[in-house]
Amino acid sequence: MNKTGIAHIFASQNNTLILVTDVTGAETFAKASGGMVVKNDREESSPYAAMKAADLISEKLREKEITDLIIKVRAPGGNKSKIPGPGAQAAIRALSRAGFKILRIEEATPVPHDGTKKKGGKRGRRV
Amino acid sequence: MNEPVAMIRIPMDRIPVVLGKNGSSKKYIEEMGNVGLVVDSTTGDVSVMQKENAILAAITGDVIRAIGRGFSPERATTLYGEDMQLAVISLREFAKPGSHRIGEMKGRIIGKSGKTRKVIEDLAGAYISVYGDTVSIIGNHVSLFTATEAIRMLLNGRKHRTVYEYLEKLKREEKYRNIADSFS
Repeated sequence: MNKTGIAHIFASQNNTLILVTDVTGAETFAKASGGMVVKNDREESSPYAAMKAADLISEKLREKEITDLIIKVRAPGGNKSKIPGPGAQAAIRALSRAGFKILRIEEATPVPHDGTKKKGGKRGRRV
Repeated sequence: MNEPVAMIRIPMDRIPVVLGKNGSSKKYIEEMGNVGLVVDSTTGDVSVMQKENAILAAITGDVIRAIGRGFSPERATTLYGEDMQLAVISLREFAKPGSHRIGEMKGRIIGKSGKTRKVIEDLAGAYISVYGDTVSIIGNHVSLFTATEAIRMLLNGRKHRTVYEYLEKLKREEKYRNIADSFS
């Protein structure tokens, strides 16, 4: 019997969050983030941290005997960046290398049908 | 298992590039991505049929999108490499609707006979394509970020010299970091 889960991967420029739920999305199987595996704040979004977080996830999933995964990748979206951060690809590859069968990869970035103004004001971010 | 995972509409004049001479580049992409491609040359829709590997199928969608955004098939297929990503920046965000600034901005990014684009590509280590109202970048997570930042600086009206100096500074810092890493 194959048990399927949905892996929600949220990859921003500052962190990578992985949350695995059942197909309804109501029940959480496992969760991990880049910040749980590295010490440095600026390394939270790195591909290495994402790989480590995916390893944590795969350990927990093996306990719960989940074999198949549907992956939903998400960037910050809205009026922020619509490009997934560096952790997304690394996490997907690590999950597939850990032996999970990946059924589908979906894009789940929220896209506005014309929303609010981007933060930073008229003159942009001033450093 | 033959279900379309992605349907991508690309400009009509890029359809021949996806197909290639006698379908050669279509065949090449199908082989690289282990997928089936169905091209509708009347509407410009390209459907990606997933065969087995979902990761490769998802990347193939990006490859098609990259070709639709002006990249050559050779450059677009570098997306199959480890840690490569595609970013598409719309120039409409930077210009008022109906203004003529988009052509001007494209000129600023490309530069005289492609000089600026070449400098950014060399210093950041990414591929850049300017097509229609978009600028697209292919690179790994470091080069993608630096190239995006450089283009954003140009679009916001910074001088070319400033952008080159910014890129050179980053390159120098990266070099020192590599040397420092090799000793630790």
